[in-house]
Amino acid sequence: MKRALTILLSNPLSVVGLTLVTFVVLTALLADFISPYPEHAGAVVDFLNANKPPSAEYWLGTDVVGRDQLSRIFYAYRVSLGLGVVVLAIAVPIGVTVGLVAGYLGGWADYVLMRITDVFLSIPPLVLALAIMGLLEPTLLNGMIAVTAMWWPWYARLVYNITRAQKVEGYVLAAEVIGAGKLHIIFREILPNCMPSIITKMTLDFGFVILIAASLSFLGLGVQAPTPDLGSMVSEGTRYLPDSWWLTVFPGIAILIAVFGFNLIGDVLREVLDPDL
Amino acid sequence: MSADLALSIRNLALSFKSWSGTSQVLHGIDLEIKRGERVALVGESGSGKSVTARIILGTLHELKSARISGEVWVAGREMSSLSQSERQALRGTDISMIFQDPTTALNPVYTIRQQFHEVLMRGDPKISLSTAEQRSADILREVSITDTERVLESYPFQLSGGMNQRVMIGMALINEPQLLLADEPGTALDVTVQAQTLRLMRDLVRQHGTSVLFISHNLGVVREFADRIYVIYKGRIVETGPAASIFDDPRHAYTKALLAAIPRLTGGGIPEIQEDSEAFFDPMVTHEDVSA
Repeated sequence: MKRALTILLSNPLSVVGLTLVTFVVLTALLADFISPYPEHAGAVVDFLNANKPPSAEYWLGTDVVGRDQLSRIFYAYRVSLGLGVVVLAIAVPIGVTVGLVAGYLGGWADYVLMRITDVFLSIPPLVLALAIMGLLEPTLLNGMIAVTAMWWPWYARLVYNITRAQKVEGYVLAAEVIGAGKLHIIFREILPNCMPSIITKMTLDFGFVILIAASLSFLGLGVQAPTPDLGSMVSEGTRYLPDSWWLTVFPGIAILIAVFGFNLIGDVLREVLDPDL
Repeated sequence: MSADLALSIRNLALSFKSWSGTSQVLHGIDLEIKRGERVALVGESGSGKSVTARIILGTLHELKSARISGEVWVAGREMSSLSQSERQALRGTDISMIFQDPTTALNPVYTIRQQFHEVLMRGDPKISLSTAEQRSADILREVSITDTERVLESYPFQLSGGMNQRVMIGMALINEPQLLLADEPGTALDVTVQAQTLRLMRDLVRQHGTSVLFISHNLGVVREFADRIYVIYKGRIVETGPAASIFDDPRHAYTKALLAAIPRLTGGGIPEIQEDSEAFFDPMVTHEDVSA
């Protein structure tokens, strides 16, 4: 743990990543206190100040109904991060369990579980999410369901492959030989050896989940007004390009900061936790 | 099965069924280990040594493609008559095993202490942490590890191969198994360390009265370790007898070839030996057991 921190702090890239991520997380957590206009996160209309370019009063300008963009971005981070946490919290356990069970048991479990996984993997992710969102109501919850459904197969594949490699390692055989049960071997012997790869992928994916959620809401699915969301902010702003450039550029940069930050950390974590990848 | 036998194998045959047909791996072998006896099973790669070990452990019984016939008596019970969970209960308590490569046989993400604790819980699920600690330290001292505290705290990769091998031996013996299977232990180590650990293991199993089936392709290693030797060739036992008798007076063509294959310190390069011979399929030779 200490070693990991030292490496993280000695690498300039990861320091940048850590700074960006800390910034994003702090603004999301403290949105209530640091936003200049916290009430603008909701359905507020202020036509007097509508569509103002960046100024001392509104640092990042205002949107078409006069809401402060900076405040809305802070609250949008809260939504994005919440979505990322929930999606990964559901998708990772499902994918990891499927991968471990299929990889260790082999045979029919392998065929059935991995073919289901393949079916999910064979559909382009955004199309799958669009289909699910089309079937269900376009709400934040359903957005999470859609992203989760397209996310778990990647973990299943990753963990399946590691498990297949770990399964023939001496320590698994040794555990079988002292009479350890299958559940014990899967979750106590093999799973801890998959953790570095899983954690690294989760860090990298966090940014991608934010991105895909933004894409969904850009297309009008997912988070609905008046809840602030980076994707829908960009999407609404495109209609006023190029005159009101701040409507699209700043939410776009906000997405970039979050995704870039998580990716930087993910890359460094991969080197720290998984030297032979 | 008489009570003084730790392991008794009667006419054991094994074949694997696959899409392309059946391949016969063991052609009916007989093998016995008395209590406290150290027996070696010697043969070349693919002769069926390791599958014999896996049958004794009962792990091969769970493989669908394996066809096993004959009897394997361990600790007074016949393996194929047991259910999967009964066989599982035998492993780690009545039978344990030592592996070729000690470093990979230990899980890299747990400390030695945690791994000892898990093994001890096989014998006594309610064992307290302090008792486990005490017993792990005791067995480590028995395998000549003096700084037990440091070793228990270490992860396997922090210890040398020889150290890990001794830890493995300690783990294999800590639940006082009746039968210990040693599948080419220490082959992954260098020769001097291997000799050291084998000597240690020999003394230890003698003290504990553990019966050992020692599986190896190396007759030199076996000579020091075993009371009795079985030589196996292509799934058949070709010669058996007390260790000294086999070495002094090899009677089967294959045993002779195997002994001739050991390079001599006196030089002369690798001796010319026959790769294959009709004589290798000669009937089994049994040496009279002088002690019996």
